[in-house]
Amino acid sequence: MREGSPTPAVQQGPIRLAVIDTDSGFVRVLAKRLEGVGWNFRTLAAPVPPEELVAMRLNALVIDLSLLGPRAWDYLGRVSEAVPGLGIVVCCEQSTVAQRVRGLRLGADDWIGKPCHPEEVIARVEAVVRRRKRATGPAETPRIVAGEMEVRPDQFQAFVGGHNLELTRREFELLHLLAGSPGQVLQREEIYQRVWGYSMAHGDRSVDVFVRKLRQKLESASPTWHYIHTHFGIGYRFQAEGPDGDATVPAKVESVEESSPAGVSAPA
Amino acid sequence: MNVERTGELLREMLGAFPDGREDLGREILKCEQEGDRIAHDIIYRLHDRGVRSPMARSELYSLVSALDDVVDYAEQTADSLGLYGVEAPMEQAVELAQVLAAAARGVRTALVTFRGGDDLSAHLVEIHRLENEGDRISRDAIASLFARGVDPMVVIRWKDIVESLEQAIDSCETVAHILEGAELDRR
Repeated sequence: MREGSPTPAVQQGPIRLAVIDTDSGFVRVLAKRLEGVGWNFRTLAAPVPPEELVAMRLNALVIDLSLLGPRAWDYLGRVSEAVPGLGIVVCCEQSTVAQRVRGLRLGADDWIGKPCHPEEVIARVEAVVRRRKRATGPAETPRIVAGEMEVRPDQFQAFVGGHNLELTRREFELLHLLAGSPGQVLQREEIYQRVWGYSMAHGDRSVDVFVRKLRQKLESASPTWHYIHTHFGIGYRFQAEGPDGDATVPAKVESVEESSPAGVSAPA
Repeated sequence: MNVERTGELLREMLGAFPDGREDLGREILKCEQEGDRIAHDIIYRLHDRGVRSPMARSELYSLVSALDDVVDYAEQTADSLGLYGVEAPMEQAVELAQVLAAAARGVRTALVTFRGGDDLSAHLVEIHRLENEGDRISRDAIASLFARGVDPMVVIRWKDIVESLEQAIDSCETVAHILEGAELDRR
């Protein structure tokens, strides 16, 4: 998965779906079925900026492109570029072959004509997500080695010298995000949006609290290394710094080995 | 005094949240139970016509109720933090708890001053100022919660918590109003 994309590859729960459509009848019937299958979904009456879709950490998007008029193609292209892991299913009335071909080439994974049965929409979304998952193998969620620490996305966990840090899901996602952007200062608001999936309310101290918890676990397991650095008033930066103060750049290891988590890995 | 102690415990709890002493919630609950006991005790005595009251009985009843409200809302706030599974504090809530602790201290000082028959005005002005400060912080908190894209669960949790903190501070002001009226009657 590319940096900056949401993290559907680390989602194992129900499918996260957004439906952008103003057809109230269709949306109501679809929502009822989605509730029945237990998906995590939200309906939107208007297109939202691609960066908001990133924050929602969706697996799939069902969109009626006719809502956007002439801006539809531009929007579709921007969404598929901004959220490469997202399965996009276009669902709209009357379309020409040329339109469908253009949509699919711009990044749509499937195209359904209305009227359509909600079960078919659900099945097609499932198929798209399934295909995405198949394509998103371990090679796309590389483990990250930094200093004495190793982040294993395939296990939603981090290790130091084979010792499991026993991170909670939220702590893991936070560490995965930070370690995936080494040397880069990430603002609190951005961290919150990408880990929690929503905008951060002004004054919310969640990011600071979780960084503190993460630091405690890292310091306890790897006391001579410093990993997360504070930039006061801005946010946090990940940089593994050893006892001699030297910084190392985390290495992304493309394939996940079959063996149990490695011991102390050599810094890159 | 129970009101002052409750305000201080809640300030400590929110200031260190989610770390800090584990027994703070339980201590605040004890304060709430103690507040109920004191209120019931006073109200029971008010029924006895032979007991001398420092102010009109109806006023004293209102005063006791307002003092009880301060502790009740503070306890509700502490309880909500656990009940809603709050993971991290909100700056505005921490500030409100500081304002509440200060207002509760002001209430205690005002009551002691009233009992001594001295001038209350400086203490009452300070409580009113703190209430205004609480209003300002609450409005800021609510506005930030209703900004675009905030998690609805976060909005539900913190709106309730901010409101209960604000109600605790408002109850301190109610105490100030009652004392103000009683002082006027006494002149």
